Amino acid sequence: MSAHAPARTVPRPDSVGRRGPTFGRVVASEWTKIGSLRSTYWIAGVTIALSWAMAYLSANASSGDPGFQPEASLTDGLALSQLAMCVLGVLVGTGELSTGAFRATFVAVPRRVPVLAARALVTAGVGAVIAALALVATVLGILPAAASRGMGVDLTAENTPQALVGSFLLLVGMALLGLGAGALLRHTALATTTVLALVFVVPVALSLASDLATEPLDLPVETEVATLDPVSTALAFLPGDAAYRMTTTAGGDGPDGAPDLGPWGGDAVFAAWILVPLVAAGVRLRTRDVT
Amino acid sequence: MSTPVTQRRVIAAEWTKATSVASTLGAVVATCALAVGLAVGLGMFTRPGDGTTATSLVVTGAVLAQLGALALGVLVGTADYTTRAAATTFTAVPRRLPVLTAQVVVVAGLASAAAAVALGTSVLATGVLRERAGLGSGLFEQPGGARALVGYVLYLTAVALLGLGAGVLLRHAAGALVTGVVLLLVADQVLAANPGRIADTVRALLPGAGMRLVHDDATVTALDAASAGPHLGAGGSGLVLAVWVVGLLALAGWRLRHDDVR
Repeated sequence: MSAHAPARTVPRPDSVGRRGPTFGRVVASEWTKIGSLRSTYWIAGVTIALSWAMAYLSANASSGDPGFQPEASLTDGLALSQLAMCVLGVLVGTGELSTGAFRATFVAVPRRVPVLAARALVTAGVGAVIAALALVATVLGILPAAASRGMGVDLTAENTPQALVGSFLLLVGMALLGLGAGALLRHTALATTTVLALVFVVPVALSLASDLATEPLDLPVETEVATLDPVSTALAFLPGDAAYRMTTTAGGDGPDGAPDLGPWGGDAVFAAWILVPLVAAGVRLRTRDVT
Repeated sequence: MSTPVTQRRVIAAEWTKATSVASTLGAVVATCALAVGLAVGLGMFTRPGDGTTATSLVVTGAVLAQLGALALGVLVGTADYTTRAAATTFTAVPRRLPVLTAQVVVVAGLASAAAAVALGTSVLATGVLRERAGLGSGLFEQPGGARALVGYVLYLTAVALLGLGAGVLLRHAAGALVTGVVLLLVADQVLAANPGRIADTVRALLPGAGMRLVHDDATVTALDAASAGPHLGAGGSGLVLAVWVVGLLALAGWRLRHDDVR
């Protein structure tokens, strides 16, 4: 019987150190998944193109005014761009449902919540890249109008830095809002409808409907300045309006008739709209079957 | 084959498909709920003398209910493709277009029924509120009031068919919904921010212009007067919406015949 030499352990490379789905590996797999969705690139392209186009059109339209400030047109393109970001989030949140690939994912990662966390991280990352490019496109869009009036564009003056940062946070936040809706509702059409309704349709519908309900040529009844208008109050607590307040001056008042939430109120409302569905989606993943 | 494929049987099959899925019936219920909820909600805040009429209060729900109707059409149109049932359906009906025709019939039926129920419920639910605000019960007093009520049902049905066309054409639920919302609401709002002849002409020719079917004559005149584009009135705008619906459905039918179905 020959003496066995002690087993030589080959030094293992670091990547084999921990077994199983570590968070880093889950993030890597979610990154692969988001990059293989064709919609990601479409949405990125559409967002950037829309941001440029809206800034260009808006700046051109107001370039004839005597008090023209090119920087004021920077936030005009947000209405459409935020819709595209919401849809991106919903598609990431519900992307695996139609193919049934989520079953393989949750077998590979039985703790489940790391998948949701990784999706949020990856969505925020991709959203940040798209938002940054969209902001660059917005600035490029206002340059021609500014040049036609011989004015320079100063991005560090007055409210412009806050408008830019607020726009960036708004676009990334909207992507996370879509992700939360998709992950919570787990149904593509329902999640898309809900997010579109919350961010766009309900505010527009409330304003249109309260216009529609009044005869156009009658003067409105004089009301006291201090009363809260129900439509404006409802709008102040919806994510679209709350997020938009991040792009305006911190000390400015909200629209007439809405409660004054203070300088950080809009941020808080928007953050709540993002966090609550994501947390609820995590709870749903842990406590319910995924079928 | 002993049971040939007839249009009536295809309609029966599409009806079964549509009504056996919870989400379709959910869309119908949501349409009614949104319409009634908005009408009652705004009714609670009307005061005598702020310019609301009985008819205009009853039909305000259409602005929000159109989302439910759009979702109804998109769900019926994309159900085959998201569940991979398309292969089975189009093996059973190889001519393919009868399926689209049957889906049009089913969606139009469901949407108009939902709109009629929503309108009736809005009238009943706002009765007390209308009396309290002194609007009277004269739903047909304003010129164009009767047309507004009929237009309510027609508009919601047309929006549902628009969703169906987008869904069958794009075969992607999220994409069809976004297309519908953009065509009906977003494009209008964005163009309204930069008024001018071209922008107002485009606005008058978008399907969202069909909303004028729901307004009474005074509101339609005021809206037209504020626009630098063609003044189409309620009937003309309804025609624009109808052309959009027929065009989308025709495109969807062309794609159905021309492309692979997986």
